[in-house]
Amino acid sequence: MKEMKLFLGPQHPGMHGNASVHIYVDGDIIKKSFLLPGMLHRGFEKGMERHSWVNNISLIPRVCVVEPDTNEMAFAMAVEMLAKLEVPERAHWIRMIILELARLSIHLMAYGGLGSPTGLYTMMYHAHTDRNTILNIFEKITGHRVYHQYIVPGGVRKDLPVGIEKDIHSFLDDLESRYEEYRDLGINNPTIQARINDTIPLPAEVVWELGVTGIGMRSAVNKPYDLRKVKPYARYDQVEFDVPVAPYSDAYARVDCKLQEVVQSIGIIRQCLAKMPEGDVRVPISRGQAMRWTVPKGHVYACVESSRGEFGYFMVSDGGTNPYRVGVRGASYPQGLLGIEKYLPGTRLDDAALWVDTMGVCSPEIDR
Amino acid sequence: MTNSMSNTEFVTNLVESKFKVLSTEVLDKYQVSFEVKKEDVHSLLSLLKTSGWIQLSYLSAVDWPNDNEFELVYIVFNWDKAVHIQIRCRLDRETASMNSILPIFPGCKYYEREAHEFFGIKFPGNPDHEKQLILEEWDDIPPLRKDFDPRAYSDRKFSKMEYKNDFVNKNGEVSKQDARTKRYDDIDKLRTGGKK
Amino acid sequence: MKKQYSIFTSWRHFKHLFKKPLTIPFTEIFTKKNADYLNKNSILKSKKNVECSSPRVGADNLRGFHTNDWEVCIGCGTCEDICPTEAINMVERLDIKDEEGKLQQRPTIDYGRCCFCALCVDICTSDSLKMSKEYVYSHEDPNAFEIMPEALWQGQAVEEGWTKTEASNLLDLERIDMEHEDPEERKSSFIEIVRGYSKEYAKQEAARCVECGVCTGSCPVQMHIPAYIKAIWEDDIEGGLRQIYETNPLPGVCGRVCTHNCETACSIAVKGEAIAIRWLKRYIIDSAPTDMYEKILSEPVSEVIDARVAVVGAGPAGLGAAYYLKVMGYKVDVYEEKPMSGGVMRYGIPSYRLPDSAIDKDIDFIEKIGVKMILNTRVGRDISMEKLEKDYDAVFLGTGFFKPRTLGIPGGDHKDVIGAMTFLPQVRDFERRVLKLEDIDVAKSVVVIGGGDVAFDVARSATRLQMLKYGKSDVKLTSLENEDQLPSSDDELIEGSEEGIELFCGNGPQEVMIKNNKVTGLRLWKCLCIFDEAGSFNPEYDKECEQIIEGQQVYIAIGQSPDYDYIPKSLQGKLQFVRGKIAADEFGQVKDLPWLFVGGDILRGPDLISGVADGHRAAQGIDEYLYTNAKKKEASDTLKEMRLAAKAQTPGLTFRQK
Ligand SMILES: Cc1cc2nc3c(=O)[nH]c(=O)nc-3n(C[C@H](O)[C@H](O)[C@H](O)COP(=O)(O)OP(=O)(O)OC[C@H]3O[C@@H](n4cnc5c(N)ncnc54)[C@H](O)[C@@H]3O)c2cc1C
Ligand code: SF4
Ligand code: SF4
Repeated sequence: MKEMKLFLGPQHPGMHGNASVHIYVDGDIIKKSFLLPGMLHRGFEKGMERHSWVNNISLIPRVCVVEPDTNEMAFAMAVEMLAKLEVPERAHWIRMIILELARLSIHLMAYGGLGSPTGLYTMMYHAHTDRNTILNIFEKITGHRVYHQYIVPGGVRKDLPVGIEKDIHSFLDDLESRYEEYRDLGINNPTIQARINDTIPLPAEVVWELGVTGIGMRSAVNKPYDLRKVKPYARYDQVEFDVPVAPYSDAYARVDCKLQEVVQSIGIIRQCLAKMPEGDVRVPISRGQAMRWTVPKGHVYACVESSRGEFGYFMVSDGGTNPYRVGVRGASYPQGLLGIEKYLPGTRLDDAALWVDTMGVCSPEIDR
Repeated sequence: MTNSMSNTEFVTNLVESKFKVLSTEVLDKYQVSFEVKKEDVHSLLSLLKTSGWIQLSYLSAVDWPNDNEFELVYIVFNWDKAVHIQIRCRLDRETASMNSILPIFPGCKYYEREAHEFFGIKFPGNPDHEKQLILEEWDDIPPLRKDFDPRAYSDRKFSKMEYKNDFVNKNGEVSKQDARTKRYDDIDKLRTGGKK
Repeated sequence: MKKQYSIFTSWRHFKHLFKKPLTIPFTEIFTKKNADYLNKNSILKSKKNVECSSPRVGADNLRGFHTNDWEVCIGCGTCEDICPTEAINMVERLDIKDEEGKLQQRPTIDYGRCCFCALCVDICTSDSLKMSKEYVYSHEDPNAFEIMPEALWQGQAVEEGWTKTEASNLLDLERIDMEHEDPEERKSSFIEIVRGYSKEYAKQEAARCVECGVCTGSCPVQMHIPAYIKAIWEDDIEGGLRQIYETNPLPGVCGRVCTHNCETACSIAVKGEAIAIRWLKRYIIDSAPTDMYEKILSEPVSEVIDARVAVVGAGPAGLGAAYYLKVMGYKVDVYEEKPMSGGVMRYGIPSYRLPDSAIDKDIDFIEKIGVKMILNTRVGRDISMEKLEKDYDAVFLGTGFFKPRTLGIPGGDHKDVIGAMTFLPQVRDFERRVLKLEDIDVAKSVVVIGGGDVAFDVARSATRLQMLKYGKSDVKLTSLENEDQLPSSDDELIEGSEEGIELFCGNGPQEVMIKNNKVTGLRLWKCLCIFDEAGSFNPEYDKECEQIIEGQQVYIAIGQSPDYDYIPKSLQGKLQFVRGKIAADEFGQVKDLPWLFVGGDILRGPDLISGVADGHRAAQGIDEYLYTNAKKKEASDTLKEMRLAAKAQTPGLTFRQK
């Protein structure tokens, strides 16, 4: 049969933003493939150089639509490293609550997203309903549903609103009670299992070659390589949680790890709510009004464990009012670009979307 | 967990004993940065890779037009000895070229390609590095160079939306704002420079 | 090994069929207005009308559409500066009342750009800009997305959403501490109390300024405050110095003792402590080396305009006039009765507030550009007014209020009842070693009458002299006003109290007690109110509430009066006097005597910088009067530029002066 060129995307290939995967197939076997990014390029790195330290908080969350908070956190950590800021204790715990809520929301959404390449849309509806509840909580805490602009260098912008603990607890209890239902719907469903077992596996050696991190890596190398454990930031060293791992990384294993992380995140949030001390939530970056804040010279790299792996901000300051250079390491950059080029060929056409979904390829963070 | 402080010490000793490091900075217990000469980068990265820093976390550049240099940064990570290492080196801005590290870290492929697209740095040894990646039909200088002005670019490329509303109310008087703006502009000219 | 599940496990989800959906019904999204709009234009696909639309209410913290209370808003424009999307534009509104501490402009917001980050709310200096819980808005006309927020959103009162809290606040409301000399040590000497900012502190203080320029209009000379504060922040002392000299030839003095109306108007003061504008100015002057001064004027001014001006009195007004006349190219001679120039700066204000070295730095520069000082020459005694009128093309009078005002109470004419402006010049002469400690007669315990800054100058100077003479101090201060209404500045009150001055506020003096021809004390009655119903000065006392405070001397600091003896009677007849001041137009030109200009305390007062402003305006007035008729007037390009700049910078009257 003749080789044929097909385009997956640029509409959401498995709901991860606009990017196009160019695929050459022979029958339904992929012969050659590559990602064509750029449709969501918004010039963020240049933009950040042109905004002051404080103004950047309106840009940062937009780097990744579904997971703005990790961006805010990594940016804040980088600035704090440069400015040698001590973040108030309470802010650390609030940040963890936000980050884990975000992790829940994105894991659920990705799990729901699995519904589209596998054709089981019910999963998506359920996931979105729960995400909606999380967004309601975010709205109450941060003032916005999606782009929170809440974790800022020096702490968080405002203290938690009164009574929010109740909302969070009741959501967590509800989610926990339906957790098995979630599993039954998707991953325990023999139809889905048949579809994702042994699909697009990722061998351990390949992980290092690509530079893949996060669940993709952990499910392949079977080790708890999670930045929250390995180089704990905020107060992750003061909460107990497990890092789900697997010895063999196929689509199933990755989805399974994701779901197990949901349970862990629920646990972390509960611990945060219990352990969080009272106190201030923010310190200014430096003296003066915000537009005249300056940050000492230096080069730093700060990273956090996002739902898709290591999300990092490389930042250079020349001592001025704007960052001199900000480089964003999107967590899914390796699996999105090199991964698609090297590891899709040989698989079936309809597995491409499964790679995109289970590896969490997120085009906004690749394009920036 | 292993004693992290000794991790940074371990790295610093390892690197400083084998290479001429221009400057070392221990940023915290999880991060060290080394500035080295361009020629040393490859052997240093190989050394680090064999010592456990098997992950290339990030690769990019910084433009320093006043020094007429680019600065390349390589960030590697070791999951067992949790230390991120920044390796930085400077390149001449005019000739801007650096041999690819593809043989050491295959994951650098797209990072190098992006650095070429956004800074114009060449990476001989990386086959596709000159192909466009993100900027489709780009027709200006590489945009992350400091001398690229995005505002001028967009003013040139795109039309501007002007609102037709008139909220101004001068109450029949002469504008005071114009006079104020002029005063500010005049007085600004008396400045002699200075640094922040 | 993966567990095998039955194909039916997922069927349990059917139970959700009977549960309440979690989604928000379509009809609850829209506001009434939007729903009507959709209905009217049949935009809805479902052909169903959105009827009882009751929009879902946002969270308490929601960053929705802005509201801005125009009554509270001061028009500083800080929101415009911080907005990361450049959505905010300040628009001129001259229909708003022009007031101190406000600008006649209000923000508009372009909702095509706004990202609802609320940075503008968090930095608002007056807390007038807030966000509501409204988040739905639609319109067919794109122009309708540029909105000028008011207290109401779309004409309706709406619930508050995101507002500024202490944590989200982006202003720096606390002043950088200024180091002061310790009270116990300073009260035994005349060493300057305020130490001045170091570079680091000055930069930090400068970083608090939001560059709004609200302060400028309240400064009598309209200094370029935000500009030179920015220069400090960017460490450009020379640029700052140039900007300062555009409007103020006495910056070192003003940096210490100015009444700083600007700080009262500062927009940061709405919610916090005003920027220390005065001390920042002082920082520039103190850190500018002398050779930097030489660079400010690119060319020494040699007179090119064939017209001569005489200035009488080397106080702030006279010096201000002389400086700007010189810059405009005139030949200027300043006549001063005293052996040193400076007026009240030299002979009134004590040196712990204003040391000679600071005055010298300013006046030296004025002399350096070519203003001639003729000292020890009293007009009316050593040279007559008529001669000035004849020899010069114009005359400027800035002779100030130097005579003490007396108090008409029994015993008020005793020799130990002393006027402030008799005492203070002696104090200054003692500081500069012209007088010895023995030459000044300060008793062991004294009473000062008056509640203004001058009273504190007297009281605190007396304290120092007592400490030097007797090793301990005993100074009482009494005023008509209560302590919370004292006309003096807060600094004086605080520092004076720290130095041990006892306050007897809210009392009126009735009699100086005299025994054996010696003053023994002062009899006071409680003061009930100072002004009568018509608003004129007419204090009312409670005779029942009497007290006598002891003291061997009584100092009177209830104001100064002018001395017009030097003006010949014939000329005085042509002048109009209003409460001791000479009537003149805005530029100080006297009606029907076009060659005569006045300024300073004898025209307007009440402080140093108003004197400088009068001088600057008079220079402009004199230039207009003389320039057209001058025989020789071709100027070099540099001078032309300088003339233009000096005129462009002529200050208008401030809100208080109007
Ligand atoms: C004790 C005291 C403290 C003050 N503190 C402050 C303060 O902290 N901040 C502030 O802003 N303001 C202060 N003021 C007010 C301020 O000093 C005056 O408003 C200001 O000095 C007025 O300036 P002037 O040029 O009109 O007159 P003056 O400063 O009074 O100068 C008049 C000059 O004219 C000379 N003169 C008078 N007659 C003749 C003549 N016939 N021939 C030649 N020369 C003559 C005098 O010798 C004198 O040098 C204070 C005033 C006093 C009395
Ligand atoms: S909310 Fe943010 S983007 Fe919108 S007007 Fe205010 S500062 Fe600008
Ligand atoms: S000193 Fe105050 S009023 Fe003046 S520009 Fe600065 S912030 Fe605005």
